[in-house]
Amino acid sequence: MAELTHTDAVFTPKPSQPPPPNTVGVVGWLRKNLFGGPFDSVMTIIGAGLLAYFAYGLFQYTIVNAVWEADSYRECLDVTQGAGACWAGVDKWMNNYLYGRYPDAEQWRVNLGGIILAVWLAPFWFEKVTQKIAVGVSAVLTYPFLAGALFLGGDNGLFMQAMSSVALTLFAAVWLNVAACYSGRRSLGAVLVQVTGFAGKDDRLYKWVYLAAFAVGFVVAFIFQSTWNLAPVQTTNWGGLFLTLVISGIGISTALPSGVILALGRRSKMPVIRVFCTAFIELFRSVPLITILFMAVTMMPLFLPVTLNPDKLVLVIVAVCIFAAAYMAEIVRGGLQAINTGQYEAARAVGLNYWKMMTLIVMPQALKLMIPNIVGNFIGLLKDTTLVSIIGLYDILLMVRASGQDPKWLGMHTEPMLFAAFVFFVICFAMSKYSQHLERTIGGGYGRR
Amino acid sequence: MAVLEKGSPHRASRSLSEWLHDERVRSVLYQAIVAIVVIAVARYLFINTSENLQARGMSAGFDFLSTGAGFSIAWSVLPYTAGDSYFHVYLVGIGNTLMVAFVAIICTTLLGFLVGIMRLSKNWLIAQVASWYVEILRNTPLLLQILFWFLAVFSLLPRPNKSLSLLDLFYLNNRGLYIPAPVPGDGFNITLIAVLVAVGATYAQAVWARKRHFDTGQRFPAFWTGLGILFGLPLLVFLVTGAPLTFDYPALKGFNFLGGASVPPAFCALLLALVIYHSAYMAEAVRAGIMSVSHGQTEAAYSLGLRPGMTLRLVIIPQAMRAVVPPMISNWMNVVKNSSLAIAIGYPDLVAVYMQTSLNQSGHAIEIVAMVMLFYMSVSLSISMALNYYNKIVQLKER
Amino acid sequence: MSLETVDSEGQHIASAVSDEVVINLSQVNKWYGDFHVLKDIDLTVYKGERIVICGPSGSGKSTLIRCINRLEEHQRGDIQVNGVTMDTNLKNIDAIRRDVGMVFQQFNLFPHLTVLENCTLAPIWVKNMAKSEAESVAMTLLERVQIPEQAAKYPGQLSGGQQQRVAIARSLAMNPNIMLFDEPTSALDPEMISEVLDVMVGLAESGMTMLVVTHEMGFAKRVADRVIFMDQGEIVEQNTPDEFFNNPKSDRTKLFLSQILAH
Ligand SMILES: Nc1ncnc2c1ncn2[C@@H]1O[C@H](COP(=O)(O)OP(=O)(O)OP(=O)(O)O)[C@@H](O)[C@H]1O
Ligand SMILES: [Mg+2]
Repeated sequence: MAELTHTDAVFTPKPSQPPPPNTVGVVGWLRKNLFGGPFDSVMTIIGAGLLAYFAYGLFQYTIVNAVWEADSYRECLDVTQGAGACWAGVDKWMNNYLYGRYPDAEQWRVNLGGIILAVWLAPFWFEKVTQKIAVGVSAVLTYPFLAGALFLGGDNGLFMQAMSSVALTLFAAVWLNVAACYSGRRSLGAVLVQVTGFAGKDDRLYKWVYLAAFAVGFVVAFIFQSTWNLAPVQTTNWGGLFLTLVISGIGISTALPSGVILALGRRSKMPVIRVFCTAFIELFRSVPLITILFMAVTMMPLFLPVTLNPDKLVLVIVAVCIFAAAYMAEIVRGGLQAINTGQYEAARAVGLNYWKMMTLIVMPQALKLMIPNIVGNFIGLLKDTTLVSIIGLYDILLMVRASGQDPKWLGMHTEPMLFAAFVFFVICFAMSKYSQHLERTIGGGYGRR
Repeated sequence: MAVLEKGSPHRASRSLSEWLHDERVRSVLYQAIVAIVVIAVARYLFINTSENLQARGMSAGFDFLSTGAGFSIAWSVLPYTAGDSYFHVYLVGIGNTLMVAFVAIICTTLLGFLVGIMRLSKNWLIAQVASWYVEILRNTPLLLQILFWFLAVFSLLPRPNKSLSLLDLFYLNNRGLYIPAPVPGDGFNITLIAVLVAVGATYAQAVWARKRHFDTGQRFPAFWTGLGILFGLPLLVFLVTGAPLTFDYPALKGFNFLGGASVPPAFCALLLALVIYHSAYMAEAVRAGIMSVSHGQTEAAYSLGLRPGMTLRLVIIPQAMRAVVPPMISNWMNVVKNSSLAIAIGYPDLVAVYMQTSLNQSGHAIEIVAMVMLFYMSVSLSISMALNYYNKIVQLKER
Repeated sequence: MSLETVDSEGQHIASAVSDEVVINLSQVNKWYGDFHVLKDIDLTVYKGERIVICGPSGSGKSTLIRCINRLEEHQRGDIQVNGVTMDTNLKNIDAIRRDVGMVFQQFNLFPHLTVLENCTLAPIWVKNMAKSEAESVAMTLLERVQIPEQAAKYPGQLSGGQQQRVAIARSLAMNPNIMLFDEPTSALDPEMISEVLDVMVGLAESGMTMLVVTHEMGFAKRVADRVIFMDQGEIVEQNTPDEFFNNPKSDRTKLFLSQILAH
């Protein structure tokens, strides 16, 4: 056998030499990626030429020749002869693009609603915060009521008031929890137990502590919100990007739970439930959204009692939710199918019943697999929400069209459309990049082989 | 009976709670509850509907289909005149929908393949351009793109008397795209027959060339020969029979073009938007499909001496197609569905002429919504049947 | 390692090395970006010679043999195969690839084709052989690797050892005069390794020129005319298997051998 002895030739590896200069660095990169051969070089030159031409044209149109101050589209055209954008008009209409016909004096309510949502969900991205699921669930379930009360104003009845109070209480709880977590405690619950002196006692009493704390918070919140005196704003005045986000936001937040239920129904062993869910999913997936919207605004009123006289916005939101749920159901089904049967068997083997098996074992794994598709579906829904402009809701797209028909800005189409395209692109692109990021980080170790 | 077999047959009477915890009892119970709720809701809706219809003095039913629709349709593939029946309107709408969807599907597939292959190009610039093309188009709403092409491009075209023209044969203006319309003369049928013969001959030639290659190893330039036959034979017959085809050229008469064939600007805008938007999705499917074939396959083919072109044709594409076809077909389905956005720019598709105009005039919301949905569902059903068939064939070949 | 098992089966097979040079590498250098993978490689392979290449992971073994059929491009130095110089001329590359077969660690069979079609694809499309002739050649080869009964199956239905034997038959169908093997048994379960090695031994007996990257030292002892040890992109030591295993010259080689043989 080989043994080391002192007579051995000692192996000293040759030092690495630098590669030939034209294979690395800028030159190497260019040669490899742009000028790999004659055909490649020609393609590069043609491509670069076209790109430069378009980029230059766009730059000229949107920046160099653009008009920023004007009082009418005529005025713009006189200056640019059509060679530049008339951002002055977009600027004048900006308020409508964002809020529709929501009264100027009340727009702070929309902004506040947006800020509340952002602040509510922010703890998701805080490292130390525990119970992130609760943060998400509380927001999805109760925020819409608070936002509804805020955006609608006026008197909305006791139910809305109560739900808004619940929302306010939970919102406060989320941030108290953040404070608790960052001051070194385990959670808000732990702090409550400690403060009230129940620490160390029978932990079956804890839930009464939580409940009592919630009740106190609720009463305070109820009194607080009953002092509000918000002017009513009809939904017919809601519009612009605000309306687009309201509709798609509600669609998105209901899509996941209802999609999960439909998907489980479709995979159920009970024939009645399976057939019903399958029919629902297939029906609404196979027809275009616009037909579902038409159905909602023309057919639904026939189905409902005359006395009900439902709001058009409500009908549209119901239609969008149905549509989104059907699509989400298929995504969830795909995710469930990707879970190994071994997981189901193992869950059953340790004695979990159906719902525990689904919520504790199967769904968490499946949801991680589904992240890219779910986000893709959200992006799709946000884009599809623009269809409500066809049936006459004043979303951002209808506002864009309306601005080109305003006598003062007659013919101004390109600029608002570029603006709207930019807004959608930024939102959707950010969402898709974020989902790719999520897939790389939390999804790791699961679906990829 | 069945319950007893699996449950505990020894005990004759069981407590109610035990009975409720039996899996099968529960299953029946759940289903019964769902069924009852569904039926109750349906009944409620039905009663409301009949009350509503009565209040409006209307009757449900499909009788209105045979009555005349009083409106005209701007452009249609199938012949239509105002006063034709509502059922005729339905068919005209379907014709227009299928027309734009069919052309869009063909173009978007070709463009999608091109962009998908460009995204995989080793040339950084080409790959980047293709990838930004995909990102921009996928992240903006289709409706916005349709409006853009319609309002910012096709509506801004010059008036007919200042049309853009190509070779004085094709004209593009704000009234639409005008092209020469072929008018077949006597004996043109012979050329049409020649086309059929040429298609058959090309196919036979390809089969023969393949067989000869397999039998003797000799190759035959089947592609170029086929191309020659396909175009050469009809051309030859056409010329020999005395070129019996004239064209009706579009010409400016007064303020508008007469003669020739034309499509309205809405058609052009819708077609262009559908093609471009869906080509981005198509490109993603193509890219993912090709990437799903491992690099080892290419290396193995190269090491056997196969040239890159042949490697692509014999090894990569056959495998990639398995991953590309399913998303491609569902993309086609989306083209058909999204063609319904025609309504936003006034192209008279099924939704526009039937679900909007006809519904507004006749008021038969339920019947009309049902008929329109039925059309889209049957298209979707046939497409998914085709997809299942394809999957079955592929699976058979694999195992 | 299966040193004992294969070793006990028989002696070193008689070598049939002629003095005709089939592969010649001189001063070959290759970089991946800034990383110097192959440093001044000189290697001459004679017709009928059987060479085993070993060395630690990442030492450049795969890269070296992949340069020989141009799956990787080298940046400096000369490579000649069968007298044809490797350059950017596609004709030369084609000529070289036709005469050099390669077997991969991951088999790389074409999953959409049957075993028989895998073996006839290249003869039909590259050599323009008649299908019936290609099939009879393929069947002979499948018999030689002892799986004629699997001809109509798809690769997905075969075991790893069977797949690798199909891959060998597929390469042989082009009638190459040089065979490259890149760790052909590393992806296999132990009981399948010997069925593949047996086929390779048979191939060696028939006088094929072979370059084999492997850690099967038993195979090296029994078959190799020369063992090459690589580290950090260099050929550290090359010698007959006897000398190489019993009397290694370099400290690096000894270290490697002690690691690889010390179960
Ligand atoms: N395509 C590539 N790009 C960049 N680096 C590479 C590439 N292929 C290989 N390398 C690097 O080159 C070195 C040599 O790789 P090679 O595959 O030749 O090693 P090896 O000796 O075959 O190792 P192993 O026994 O693990 O197969 C390794 O460090 C590897 O990381
Ligand atoms: Mg290797």
